[in-house]
Amino acid sequence: MNKHWIMVFVAAFFEVLWVIGLKHAGDALTWTGTAIAIFISFYLLIRSGRYIPVGTVYAVFVGLGTAGTFFSEILFFDQPFVWAKFFFVVFLLAGVVGLKLVTKDQPSEGAEA
Amino acid sequence: MAWTFLIIAGLFEMFGVAMISQVNKKRNWVSVALLIGGFGASFLFLAFAMESLPMGTAYAVWTGIGAAGGALLGMFLFGESKDWKRIVFIAMVLSATVGLKLIS
Repeated sequence: MNKHWIMVFVAAFFEVLWVIGLKHAGDALTWTGTAIAIFISFYLLIRSGRYIPVGTVYAVFVGLGTAGTFFSEILFFDQPFVWAKFFFVVFLLAGVVGLKLVTKDQPSEGAEA
Repeated sequence: MAWTFLIIAGLFEMFGVAMISQVNKKRNWVSVALLIGGFGASFLFLAFAMESLPMGTAYAVWTGIGAAGGALLGMFLFGESKDWKRIVFIAMVLSATVGLKLIS
């Protein structure tokens, strides 16, 4: 596990936070937190795109965000556990692991700028 | 009309994903502004589409167009790997994401 992939995972974590925020935020404090989470997740998404192909980064970002939203709705918002959804999440995570295994780091293209 | 809005939203999302590559190549305010404008326009048209389409359907189609289109643009415009294993795994992640959003 290298730090560029960790950046993608942290970006997806903050994506889950702002998706929850968009749905549940109700006052100045929670909206500010939501805005900060959007900023952090996109900042990390763009940074990781320097080292990992952007097509891969974006697919993993939306996929993990969706999977994370599924788990947080069950854990924190009393949504029922649905086996069909769980199957998709496992299939999705298998795809993410596969992508990580077949992706070679590329040198930073923006390094000389 | 809602479907037209949704497709436009997906195209702006593809554009936004392509601009992530562009920002990393040319670090200037124009590419950052295009990136923010692309995702901004995309969210706006997604919101228009959701006024008449079910949220799960709209979200699933939007994600699918943006992520698949973004990966294809990456391969053809930015020289990303066209390795079949990469394509298979991206397709896995995408189909599972779209499936999850459709049944949510």
